[in-house]
Amino acid sequence: MSEDALWYEAAQVVGVTNAVNVVADALGAGSPASSLLPPVGESASDDVRALFAEVRAFYDGDVPEPFRVMANDPAYATDVFHAVKHAFADNRLGRRFKEALAFAVSLTTRSPFGTAFHLGEMKRLGVRPRGVMEILGVAQMFSSYTKIADTLQLEPDMGHIAPADPSPAPGGCPSSG
Amino acid sequence: MPTVRLRTAAEYPESAQRLFELSKSWFNYDFAEPPAMSRVMAWDPEFGGHHGRAMKRMLMPGEFTRAEKEMTAAVVSGVNACEY
Repeated sequence: MSEDALWYEAAQVVGVTNAVNVVADALGAGSPASSLLPPVGESASDDVRALFAEVRAFYDGDVPEPFRVMANDPAYATDVFHAVKHAFADNRLGRRFKEALAFAVSLTTRSPFGTAFHLGEMKRLGVRPRGVMEILGVAQMFSSYTKIADTLQLEPDMGHIAPADPSPAPGGCPSSG
Repeated sequence: MPTVRLRTAAEYPESAQRLFELSKSWFNYDFAEPPAMSRVMAWDPEFGGHHGRAMKRMLMPGEFTRAEKEMTAAVVSGVNACEY
């Protein structure tokens, strides 16, 4: 995991996972605010139908509720979904592992929607209970380490053990310095 | 600034030196001084030993690789806004 490209991919997954979770948890079914911006139905408009078809194909199932909420602005929802789809697509990191990262993020941020949703996606993509337990354990143990470090206000002292990646940004030139 | 004075490895008893050696081997890195977290955990081996074993058990390769799990740990630390 020494190449920066892998970390950029992971950061995208963390970002969009959180973005979808905040909408789902704040405005989804069961939330006191859910009636303020009701989920959009299938027959809303052609662009919504096209978006939902793409979402269904990506998740091989129903349209997750946060996309139905975001579809109150179809152009916005489409852009968000395409960012999500790109972030979770198989790339340098595989989709299966990206779902595991999203599960860890959702667990750590205590998102009921994200935890259930990404757990379901992990299982759909073939992760067995042992694999779920591994990610659960890592998230739990490092939630402990981080709070111990914060309580004692420890200063970072291990950053230097990771090698720096000298490669340029995609399509760019190597650093002259 | 840490809220406690972090002891150097030399201030720890012999039993803790073994933990520091394990830490070196776990990270495959020859630290001049064990990382602060290793020294914190060695303060009370009855806690640190169990905590460290649980962590290592979860980070061992299984359905996910050690590298994938280390990335997950980094992500969890980032989400927890932990600078350490």
